[in-house]
Amino acid sequence: MRIHLAILRTAACLVPGEQRAEWLAEWRAELWYLRQRGDRQITVFCLGSFRDALWLRRNSPPDTQPWLHLETPAQCIGFLCVAAAVCVLFALRYHPPDCPMVPIGPPLLFMLWMAVTSLPALLATTSLRMGEYPANRYGWRWVFFLSKIGLVLSIVFCGGLALWPIIGPMVGNCMLIGCVIALRWALIDQRQRCPECLRLLGHPARIGHHSHTFLDSCGTEFVCPKGHGLLYVPETSTISFRRTQRWQHLDRSWSGLFS
Amino acid sequence: MAAELKLSHTAALILRAIHAGDGYGFSVMEMTGLPSGTVYPAMRRLERDGLIRSQWERQSIADTEQRPPRKYYKLTRPGQATLEASERRYPLLAKLTAVEVDQS
Repeated sequence: MRIHLAILRTAACLVPGEQRAEWLAEWRAELWYLRQRGDRQITVFCLGSFRDALWLRRNSPPDTQPWLHLETPAQCIGFLCVAAAVCVLFALRYHPPDCPMVPIGPPLLFMLWMAVTSLPALLATTSLRMGEYPANRYGWRWVFFLSKIGLVLSIVFCGGLALWPIIGPMVGNCMLIGCVIALRWALIDQRQRCPECLRLLGHPARIGHHSHTFLDSCGTEFVCPKGHGLLYVPETSTISFRRTQRWQHLDRSWSGLFS
Repeated sequence: MAAELKLSHTAALILRAIHAGDGYGFSVMEMTGLPSGTVYPAMRRLERDGLIRSQWERQSIADTEQRPPRKYYKLTRPGQATLEASERRYPLLAKLTAVEVDQS
């Protein structure tokens, strides 16, 4: 029946793209056999596909090529600058001069207040840990990180002001939610970059077994496209192995592999 | 493999059903009595841990019989070792699936 195929196709939307066709073929084949047997539990069987699809979604390595791939730091900062400039222009054009939703006068102070108030929600949605990196190195990554924070806060603040005529008094809540999303993105993006060249890391590879998380390692390893090193991201923070992600620098003897 | 994995009772039951049965998802469901939402994610986990491997049936065989090809699962060598360890850990496991096989 069409309803069963519709259930499977809906569940297939949850499956990562590269596995979707094979996943759907397997479930469709099983469905065909169930129909031949005249089984009454076909709908229950099909609904189970959602759990399977969700499992695959949770346990697949992140997409290597997301829709917005800002690989180099210049691309990232450039994109954020353009977005911030557009938001500033819209804010100057559309926000009312006596906007009552800004409780603190100077915009810079308001942005800081926004960032502080969004911290509890940010803590609930992602970790603030940046990982283990060799001390006294890679100072540029903090400059890059602070630039990103400044730009995303400007985008949220000016975007909120620009949207004020449309969403009215809800703009304060929207800005807070936007602030949490923007800071979360900045943190996750920072954790996925090489600390030397600040490029996005790629080629995720699963290491270890999930049933070995306590005394052994289990996680994902990423490689810098320029061969500066490897980033090990543990699946869960364990007391016996690694609590947080760790950067492994590769010296020049490895450069032949990446040229 | 450095050490055998310690499986939950459900995972061990599914491993046993794959070994004893026809090796496709629905046969595992029939043998274990578990729903599809439990069986398929468990099989993916077992495959990711290298205890089972999947293989699509050849298209030509399915075409001859005018049916879609099925995906079959088989135990790997570490999977067989883990199943033996699980059967020592859960002695009723072998009997349970043997009864299911006899009844079907």
